[in-house]
Parts: sequence; structure tokens; C-alpha cells
Amino acid sequence: MKFRKNVKSMVCAAVLVAVGFLTTTAPVLAQSALIDIEKRGVLRVGMSTFVPWAMRSKEGDLIGFEIDVATKLAQDMGVEVEFVPTAWSGIIPALIAKKFDVIVGGMSITPQRNLTVNFTRPYAHSGQQMAANTKLSGSFTSMDDYNDSSVTIACRRGATPCNFAQERFPKASLRQFDDDAQAFQEVVNGNAHAMISSAPKPRFWSEAYPDKVFVANDGKNLSQGDEAFALRKGDIDTLNFFSNWILVNESNGWLAKTHAYWFEDQSGWKDMVAE
Amino acid sequence: MCLLTPKSMDAMNRNAPPPEPRKKRLSPLDFIIYGVVIGFIYYAGYRVNDVLVYNWNWSRVFNFLVRYDADANNYVANLLLFGLATTLRLAVWATILAAIIGVVMGYWRTCDNLTLRIISRSYVELIRNLPPLVFIFIFYFFISSQLFPVLGIEDINRENQFVDSVMFQVMFGDPRLLSNFLAGALCLAMFEGAYITEIVRAGIQSVGKGQWEASRAIGLSPFNVLRDIIMPQAFRKILPPLAGQFITLIKDSAIVSLISIQELTFMATEVAATTTRVFETWILVGAMYFILCYIFALTFGWLERRATKNHR
Repeated sequence: MKFRKNVKSMVCAAVLVAVGFLTTTAPVLAQSALIDIEKRGVLRVGMSTFVPWAMRSKEGDLIGFEIDVATKLAQDMGVEVEFVPTAWSGIIPALIAKKFDVIVGGMSITPQRNLTVNFTRPYAHSGQQMAANTKLSGSFTSMDDYNDSSVTIACRRGATPCNFAQERFPKASLRQFDDDAQAFQEVVNGNAHAMISSAPKPRFWSEAYPDKVFVANDGKNLSQGDEAFALRKGDIDTLNFFSNWILVNESNGWLAKTHAYWFEDQSGWKDMVAE
Repeated sequence: MCLLTPKSMDAMNRNAPPPEPRKKRLSPLDFIIYGVVIGFIYYAGYRVNDVLVYNWNWSRVFNFLVRYDADANNYVANLLLFGLATTLRLAVWATILAAIIGVVMGYWRTCDNLTLRIISRSYVELIRNLPPLVFIFIFYFFISSQLFPVLGIEDINRENQFVDSVMFQVMFGDPRLLSNFLAGALCLAMFEGAYITEIVRAGIQSVGKGQWEASRAIGLSPFNVLRDIIMPQAFRKILPPLAGQFITLIKDSAIVSLISIQELTFMATEVAATTTRVFETWILVGAMYFILCYIFALTFGWLERRATKNHR
């Protein structure tokens, strides 16, 4: 009896191991996402809420620079667009797990990210901007004053500003938050000296608290970023198509015009998001 | 504290009405406790108002709950209510799936067959000893992305009569988000199933051994023993903890926001990011969860009382 039980458990274990092997060694068929998109008739775009790249209007609809870009891209391809709002920290794994075809999410090109995903040519150039607490850091004369162990800098977890802050201000202590709004709130509350985020959010927010927060570095960007679409590795056809779509829309001025509408000032779209 | 002395016993008139029960009075200690609690709330309010520099603005956040539609001249639901609906749908489907998993696995846990016991035990121990977040990431990025393309859920026909109906909308929400929704429901069900398995196992084991022996002795088949004798008794016992597990599941569903399932917590992150009204959003969402869960707790409590009344 005991022997039979042992045999049973061994067979069971063997089956489990065999199933594991079968599922992990299944061949990966490399197919262009372009073909999938056309067959489906829908372009799936991964994005994350990030003012003014992508945000919610009063009606709860998605609006923003990226939304315009992806909508025009789908129009030019002759397919429908479908947005997949995704938590930023998991957006690259979600792309690799094929939850959508492309990330149009204001993602800056970095060598580290480029090791896991492919980037098109940049479709926007943003930069890092710093909002600082007037009481805590109003007396700072140069940007190097922020590089001090007594300084606290807030940023969004997993986003480029955190890496930037670490490199530019290695001595400062870093506090990471799940979204920018929380990071900014820390500055307003005086718990952090400054927060770093992609322009123009720090400027827009600072306008709401003129006597408590100011934009450091005389309002200029701290760095320049290159934002591009991110795609899965090994799909050269789609990469070529998207890159050239960006090139064409750069040349005809559509990208610059749309970028100016969303980034230069809020007057054009402020009514859409607030009363 | 009125002890009856022999003397008072003598004086007691048997026909007199019983003495009034002593009025419940608040002792000074109660007042001190109330005072401390109220003082603490006031202090918290003071900190929030004076120390925390924050311009409260609720209107933009409430707008994401219900908004005024000028075209329809009416109030309509907005993101947060849609999120709440998704949370409810998630909880209902995940509970149904988890109950199925739980009943099967729970029975296997009590089986004589070793293989079945190994499978169910491994399942329960694997899930109970992983942090929910880790399990959800593994499940979402590895298992569901392998499973769903095989099942063809990503490519369902949206013009299909069944998919296009109101029924489908009520049951599964937006067809465009179906695979997203199913991933979340499946994930939660797998997770909660392990806990329901243990509840079911305890229920089955609580039925006396005599019941098994007696039902076998009168010649019932193993299936009939289970269906007609054991399970009805077990279910009566496990219903209260099962109801509690349902409420736990509603609260646990917040965690699937991290894999971008469009439920209440995920919608709240969207609203908070858009409006930059972090505190207002989370306080409102907390209140929504509380109201939802408390209503269910009251309902289940009432059902339980009714069930025991009818039974006795």
C-alpha cells in the first residue's frame, strides 16, 4: 500500500515537471505587430495618466498630447485606437506580456530601458523641471545647494526624474511616491525641499501655490529628455513604420503644433479638465 | 449589584411586579474615554487644518463621481462610479469562481486519495505563503498572458449579439476591457480560493464521523453521501465565514489596481493624477469602500439571523 502511494506521488510529480517544460519551451513565433493590428482593426496603446500628456476630462474621457498623437497615428493606419490605462511601474512588463501593441506614454529613452524594449525616434522633447518649497530652499543660490545631505527630494517611483535626481543630487535623500501629485504635495507641506518631474507639470502646479512653491533653476528645465514610442524587441517592421510616421509628422509641423497646444500654456484646454 | 439577603427575601411580595431594571448610566470613566477620543479627533482636525498646508477642493473630485451632463440635462455617473461597478462585478465573479475552486479543493483536502491531497495542499500552501502582490504579478505577467490568447478572449467578436447586449454590459462591463477584467477576476479568485478551500475543509471535517459511517451504512453511493448528507450540513456551518470572505474579497480587490484592472482604486489613481487632489480622492474612495462593505456586512448579519431563526 505504502509503495503504491509513493509511486502515485512520483507519477504526479513527473507529470507536473513535464507540463512545466512544455509550457516554458513553447516556440515563440516572431510576427510583426503591424499585421496583428491590421487584422484586428484596432491599435492598442498603453499609456499612463500624466498631465498634460494624458489625463481625464470632466466627462472622464482621455485627453492630452499623447492621446492626440496616438489617435492620429491610428487614423493614418486606418484602424481604431484603444487606450489601455496602465500603472506606470508595470507598463514595460505589460508591453512585453502583449497587453498592448505600443507604449505612447511620454516615455524618455534611456539606455537601461532600451535593453528591454525598442524605441522609435523621439516624438517629443521634454525635460525635468524642479518645483521647490520657498521657505526651505528659497535661499539657495545655485543648483548645487540641493546636493546636500539635509535636502529631501521627492519624485515618482520608477520614473526618469528619480534616476536624474540620484545622479544630479547624489547627497540629497530621495523620497519616492506612486504619483507626482503626492510628491508635489510633500513639497507644499514642507516635508521635501523640492520635487522633480517632467515639464511642464511642476510649473503648472506651482502656479496654484505662488507664495509656497517656486520653479527652481529660474524656471528653466534641468535637463532635456527624448520621448519616444516603446515597442517589443525584434519587431523591426513596426519600429520602422512608427519612426517614419513621427518623421513625417515632424516635417509637416503637426507634432510641434500639437505639442505647443498642450505644453505652452493651459489656456487652450483648462476648461476641459476643470470648472 | 443587588444581592438578595434572607431578610429581603422575607419581605418580598410574590405578587408585586418585578423591580425596574437598573438604568444604564455612564460612569465618569466613560466620559473620560469619550473626552479623550473627541480631543484626539479635534487635534487631528487641527493638524490637518493648520499644520498641513492644503487648499481643500472637493468639487473636482465629486465631479468624477457624478457629473452634470448638459446635453441630457441630467446627472450621470462618472469614472469613480464606473470603478465601483467594476469592483462589485469583480467581487461577485471572483467569489463565484473562488467558491467553485474552494469546494473542489476543500473536498480534495479531505479525500483519501493522496494525489488529490497533494494537489490541493500544494495549491493552498503556495498561495497562502506568497504575498498577494507577488502572486498577482506572477499570475498577470506570466500565466494570464499565456492563457488568454489560447482561449481567444482577446479577439472576441464585439458585434456579436450576445457581446453587444445590455446583459453582457451589466455582467462583464465594457467588452473592450473584457480580457483585462477577466484577468483581474481570475487572479482574485485563484487567490481567495485558497482561503475558501480552508473554510470548506473545516466545514466538511466538522461533520461528525458518524454521519459518514451512517450514510454509507444505508447504502448511499460516495457521491450521494457527499451531496445529500455531508455538504448540506457543512454549508450551513461555513456560510458565515464565507460571507466574511466575500467582504474581504471586496477590500482585497483594490490590490489588482497594480496590474491596471480598471476598478475603483485604479480609477482613483487616475483621478488623483489628473486633478492633483490626492487627499480628497482617497478620502472619498475610502468612504465608498466603507459604505459598500458595511452594507454587505449588515445584509449578511441580517440574513444569518434570519437563517438561524427559521432553523431552530
